[in-house]
Amino acid sequence: MLRTLLALTALLSVSQGASAYLDPGTGSMILQGVIAAIAVVGFTIKSYWYKIRSFFGKGGSASLLDDDEDEQRSD
Amino acid sequence: MDTLSSSFRDPSGFVFLHDKIVHRQVNNSFAASYDAFVSSGLYDKLVERKLLVAHEEITDGSVAGTRDCYRILKPQQIPFISYPYEWSFSQLKDAAMLTLKVQHEAIRHGFILKDASAYNVQFLDSRPVFIDTLSFDTYTPGTPWVAYKQFCQHFLAPLALMAHTDVELSKLMISHIDGVPLPLASKLLPFKTRFNYAIATHIHLHSRMQQQHADNALDDTPATSKHSSLSEQSLKALMEALAKAVQKLTWKMPDTEWGDYYENTNYSDRAGEEKRDLVDRLLGSIPDQLTVVQDFGANTGEFSRIAAKHSALVVSQDIDPVAVEMNYRKSAAGGPVNILPLIQDFSSPSPAIGWGNAERDSFLQRSHCDALLVLALVHHLAISNNVPLSNIAALFASLTQWLVIEFVPKEDSQVIRLLATREDIFPDYTRDGFEAAFRQNFTIEDSSPVAESERTLYLMKTRT
Repeated sequence: MLRTLLALTALLSVSQGASAYLDPGTGSMILQGVIAAIAVVGFTIKSYWYKIRSFFGKGGSASLLDDDEDEQRSD
Repeated sequence: MDTLSSSFRDPSGFVFLHDKIVHRQVNNSFAASYDAFVSSGLYDKLVERKLLVAHEEITDGSVAGTRDCYRILKPQQIPFISYPYEWSFSQLKDAAMLTLKVQHEAIRHGFILKDASAYNVQFLDSRPVFIDTLSFDTYTPGTPWVAYKQFCQHFLAPLALMAHTDVELSKLMISHIDGVPLPLASKLLPFKTRFNYAIATHIHLHSRMQQQHADNALDDTPATSKHSSLSEQSLKALMEALAKAVQKLTWKMPDTEWGDYYENTNYSDRAGEEKRDLVDRLLGSIPDQLTVVQDFGANTGEFSRIAAKHSALVVSQDIDPVAVEMNYRKSAAGGPVNILPLIQDFSSPSPAIGWGNAERDSFLQRSHCDALLVLALVHHLAISNNVPLSNIAALFASLTQWLVIEFVPKEDSQVIRLLATREDIFPDYTRDGFEAAFRQNFTIEDSSPVAESERTLYLMKTRT
């Protein structure tokens, strides 16, 4: 199963920005592809769920990183 | 040029001091990325959201760069530099969330963070802020995040270790300047974390894959040119997954020797109130303008909050991670925000680390201040740690012009407790001995007994 996922993520050759200076690590690159592939499914479902919620007038965002999250912190 | 030794890793530019003000040079090699970063609106958006320090470009030639200079930036100054191994759990967690928010905003504008170092974050007004203006590279659709490994090492691994193994393990960042190695984190985390999806993948599996590919490094083509194409949608989802992983990490604070200190001290309510008034009066009587006050042994910051009325910033340090955590939560939630709580063991403060022992300054290199507040600490240094009083006085005098210090005599129950299990080898630990030792480096400007106790508070001035 894992091997199939790894093969799927290793399909395309890509290049990095000119100023990359970290060694990203081969294992890390492959793994993030696998995790992101799973995460995108979860996040898509979550986004639809929040769309349904908003249809019924409930607030909130599927994203933990959007601007409105800033407001939750008081100064 | 007074180049800071902390900024040599990234060839896009470097940081230097000019007239004691921190400046940043953008090198010619990074010109296009920097211009795009500003013109895209990303810089303005990050500054508006208070996620990034603002800067001004120096265009009048008043500050010279090197031959490779494209721009000189003068960023908003950070009054006190702190490091991740000095942060409490929530400080490191907030710094992790900040990094992901910055990354999220960057992706929206067509950029990506090329590093995810915890040292890119500092604290200003009790909130984390990103300080590395040159971390933003143009995003090439389809590329993965080169800093994913670094994010796990600098944030996820130490946070997971603090939450699941021991909160003191943030100190591993001292011995590992590029974050906690994932194989080490994986080894130290309890077995149950293998059933936690986020930790199992980002740390345990990540560690295994790193090791597996390190063994085959010569057979692999460079990581950046081979594996894993990642769509923008997947990249964003990865950031959300990392944010969820960070947010789900919580630290259950244990009962602590200091955590409930103020509910269980030698002081009655009235005596506590009088001590607060006395500290307030002594700090208020200092004729100089106070920019930075250090509070050593600050506990949860009760007296730092008084000092915050007198100084632009109070660096509020204590050895106890619980007290520092409570201090930070209070400062971040209700203010005053000009308090920076940090974990510090004064018997062995943060060393200088990194290349040439110069990448990250030691605690003493960073600790100069206008006034130093040392309440209920001297007996711990002198008796628990056997430091002679004259050594304590000499160290404090090297850091500050003004000193507000409390002497806790042997008759005090806290000192009786410290001496209960050991031989009393401190014949000079008396009020007279304390004053004589400190007079070598200070003049005593004021002194006052603390009500309903045997203690004395002093205002001292460093001899010049």
